[in-house]
Amino acid sequence: MENIKILKGFKTPLTGMPDLSVIQIPDPDTVAVSAMDIPYIRPKLLVKENDYVKTGTPLFSDKRNNSIFYVSPGTGIVKQIVFGERRRLQEVVIALDKNVDKNINNNQAEKDDFIQFETLSQDSIDTTPKTKIIKLLQQGGLWQCFRQFPSKDTADENHEPPMIIVSLNGNDPFSPHPKVVLENEVPAFEFGIKILKQFSNRIIVASRQSSLDMLNGFNDHITHIVPDFYPSWDPAVILYHLKRSPKDNRSWCISAEHLILVAKFLLTGRYPVKRVITITRSNDKKPHIIARQGTPVKNLVGSLDENSIITTGRFNGRSVELKSHMGFFENTLNIINDNQEEELFGFIQPGLSKPTVSRTFLSCLTRTPKNLDCNIHGEERACINCGYCTNICPVNLAPSFIYKALSSDDIEDALSYGLLDCSRCGLCSYACPSKIELTQLLSLGMDDHYKDKA
Amino acid sequence: MNPIKRLLNLSEKYFTGSGKFNALAPLFDATKTFFFFPSPKTQYVPFVRDSLDLKRFMSFVLISLLPVLIFGIYNTGFQAGIARGESYSFFQTFLLGSRYVLPIIIVSYAVGFFWEIVFASIRKHKISEGFLVTGLLFPLTLPATIPLWQVAIGISFGVVIGKEVFGGTGRNFLNPALTGRAFLFFSYPVSMSGDVWVAAGSAAVDGFSGATALSILAPEGEKITTALSNSGFTLSNLFFGLVPGSIGETSALCCIIGAVFLIITKIANFRIIIGGITGLIVTSIIFYLIPGGSDSWMNAGPLFHLCAGGFLFGIFFMATDPVSAPGTNPGRWIFGFLIGFLTVTIRVVNPAFVEGTMLAILFMNVFAPLLDHIVLKYNASKRIPNV
Repeated sequence: MENIKILKGFKTPLTGMPDLSVIQIPDPDTVAVSAMDIPYIRPKLLVKENDYVKTGTPLFSDKRNNSIFYVSPGTGIVKQIVFGERRRLQEVVIALDKNVDKNINNNQAEKDDFIQFETLSQDSIDTTPKTKIIKLLQQGGLWQCFRQFPSKDTADENHEPPMIIVSLNGNDPFSPHPKVVLENEVPAFEFGIKILKQFSNRIIVASRQSSLDMLNGFNDHITHIVPDFYPSWDPAVILYHLKRSPKDNRSWCISAEHLILVAKFLLTGRYPVKRVITITRSNDKKPHIIARQGTPVKNLVGSLDENSIITTGRFNGRSVELKSHMGFFENTLNIINDNQEEELFGFIQPGLSKPTVSRTFLSCLTRTPKNLDCNIHGEERACINCGYCTNICPVNLAPSFIYKALSSDDIEDALSYGLLDCSRCGLCSYACPSKIELTQLLSLGMDDHYKDKA
Repeated sequence: MNPIKRLLNLSEKYFTGSGKFNALAPLFDATKTFFFFPSPKTQYVPFVRDSLDLKRFMSFVLISLLPVLIFGIYNTGFQAGIARGESYSFFQTFLLGSRYVLPIIIVSYAVGFFWEIVFASIRKHKISEGFLVTGLLFPLTLPATIPLWQVAIGISFGVVIGKEVFGGTGRNFLNPALTGRAFLFFSYPVSMSGDVWVAAGSAAVDGFSGATALSILAPEGEKITTALSNSGFTLSNLFFGLVPGSIGETSALCCIIGAVFLIITKIANFRIIIGGITGLIVTSIIFYLIPGGSDSWMNAGPLFHLCAGGFLFGIFFMATDPVSAPGTNPGRWIFGFLIGFLTVTIRVVNPAFVEGTMLAILFMNVFAPLLDHIVLKYNASKRIPNV
C-alpha cells in the first residue's frame, strides 16, 4: 500500500456523521429512475405511461449511444414520466407491484418477476471476451457505472483505459462508509476486481486512512491510502496525484458500491436493486439505510423543516425535493438547515461556532465539529485575488485565474492552467470570501469544452 | 423587532423600485448590510459556504490599523508640543493630535464615499467594502499639516482614477490609497515634503525643524548614524515612533502589532511581508558594503532603513493589498523582495526622493500582473497537459 500525499482539502470537522449501524426500510410504493444525476445524457424513452415493466426492463437509453440502457429497479406499472423545463426528462416513476415484492422478500421470486440475464462464473471470467462483458453490462443497465475522465462521462467501450480507479467513498464527506457497503461482499468484490482486470492492467483501490482498520478482508486489494479529509478520495483527485503522462487523463473510475453491483449482476444474472444510503443532518447521528434504488426522498428523510434544503452531496450534489427520487449515482442525502437570522453587526462577531477555513473566527482555534447551514454568509463581490481558492484546491489549480480566463473566453489559457483536472469538489466556491460561483463557472467551462469536442 | 431593523424596513420603499431615492439604492443597501449581515440561501453547488466574507475581511484590516491610528494621533500632538516648546499632559497631547488627524480622516471618508456612491449608483452595483480600508490608509500616509482641500483632491484621484475607472474594487491594478498620495506628492510637493511633518502651527519655537529622518545628511567626516542620533533619530526613537513623519508611519512597533494580527488571521500574505523585509535588509547590507558614502543613507544599515520612513507601514498595509499584489505565491515573494530592494535603492541612489516606499510599491503594483503571468506559465509548463 502506498500513501498518496495530498495536502489541500476541507479539514473542518463536521457534525452529523452517520452511525455505522444499518437498518433496512421496506420497499416504497413508487421507485423511479432519475435522469437528473446522469451527466451529459440525451435520453430516449423506451416505455410509455401505464406500461408494465419488470426489474431489469430498459426504461430509456442514451441517444448518443443507443446500446446503453437505464433499467427499471422494480417490477410494476410505469405510473408517470416527469418532464422538466424544455421537456427535459426528469424521472420515470414506477408504481411497484406489491405481490411481486412479497415473493421476492420470501425468496420465492418467480421467473416472470424479473428479467433473467446471462450469467458468468468465477472461473469463466478470465476466458470471457471483453466484448461479451460489455454487452451484458450494457443490457443490464450497469455499464454506466464506469465513468471516463476527464469529464466523468459514461466510459467509451472502445477505449482501453490506462488505469481504473475504484473509489471506496462517495462524493460527500458522509457518504456510506465502505465498511457498511462492503460488509460480507468479499467474493463479489474480488470477482469485480477480476472483471476490471479484463479492461486495464492497472487497478487503483484507494482507501481513507481512517477506514483502513475496518476493511480487513480487503487489505490485499487496497493499493493506495489517502488522507482523511474531503475530497482526497475523489477519483479525480487520486488521478491527478497518480498520473504520469497525458495518456492517463483518459482513465476510468468506478465506485466500490457499483463494482459490487456489477459483480453480483454478472454472477446472478439479476439486476441488483438494493443500495446503501446515508442521511446526514447537523447534530444528528442516523444509521446507514438499505433501501431500493430510486426510493422517494420522502421515505428516507421523513419530515423536515420548511426552510431546510436536501442535497445529494453538500459540496457537489444536486438539490432535491421531498417528492423526487434517489438517482442511480446518488447514495447520500444531506439535510441542511437555513439559518434565516440576519445577525446584527454579523461581520464583526467573534464567531465561536462558525465553520471557516480562514483564521478570522475564534472557531478556528477549536477542533469541535461544526454545523454547516445553507446560507451564503455575505454577498457577491469582485474577485480580490486573495488566494483562498488556490489554497484549498486539492488538484493544485488556481481557480480565480481559470475563472478570469473563462470569463474572457480564453479557453486555451484555461486549459493550460489545468481546467480539465478540476474534480468539481466545490471547495473553491466554498472558501471564496467574495462569494463568486467558481465551481459553477469552472464546471460550465469544462462541460462546454467537452460538448464542443464531442 | 430590533428598532434599527424596523427603521430600515420602513425606509426601504423609498430606496427600492420606483421609490423617491431609488438612485441611492447602493447607499441604502450598504447601510442595511452594515447593520444586518446578509446571508441568502445558496442556489448553486456547493450548497454550503464559508463564514468569511469581504466585509469581515476588510474590517480586519481596519482593526489592524487601530494601533497605528491611535499612536499616530498621539504622536501628532506630541510633536506639535515639542515644536511649540510646551509640555502637555497625555490627554492634552491626544486631544491636540485629534484636532489635526480626525478632520483629515473625516474628509477622506466623506469624499471617498461620495465617489463610491456616485459610481455605485451609475453602475448599479453594490458598494464594495474595499473603500473602508482605502479611506483610512490614505490619511495615515499624509503629514498632519496637509490642507483639507488637498486631502479631498487626493482621495478623489485615488478612488476615481486609481480604482473606479477600472471597474471598482478588485479590478484596480494600483493601490488606490497610494495612488492618491502619489498624486498629492507630485502635484503639491510643498505640502508633502520638507518641513511639513510637524503640526507646529504659528507657535513654533526658533530653530525647530520638522524634517524626517530620511532627509538627514551627515556633515563632512561624520557617520550618518551619528548624525541621525544627534538629530534625535536614535534607533529606539525610530522604533517606538515619537519622531516626525506621516501620521501613521512613524512607529515601527505599532506597525508590527498590526502586521502580526494580519499574519495570524491570514488576511495579509506573509510572503509579501517577509519577502519585502528580506529585500530591504539584503539591499541595505549591499549598499553598506560598498565603500564610500558614509555620510549618506547608503551607510545607514538595515536597522535604520527598516525603522525610518514608511517602509514597514507600506509593506504591512499597502503592499499586502491583495487586489494590487500578485495572486500567486512565488509572485508574492518576488513582489515583496523587489519592493524592499527598490525602497532602499530609491532612498540611497536617487537624490530627488528621500523616501522610496511609495514609489517602490506603486512600481511593483504595475508589475504584479506580469509576475503572475510568468508564474502561471511556469506552473502550466510543469503540469501534465490535459486537453
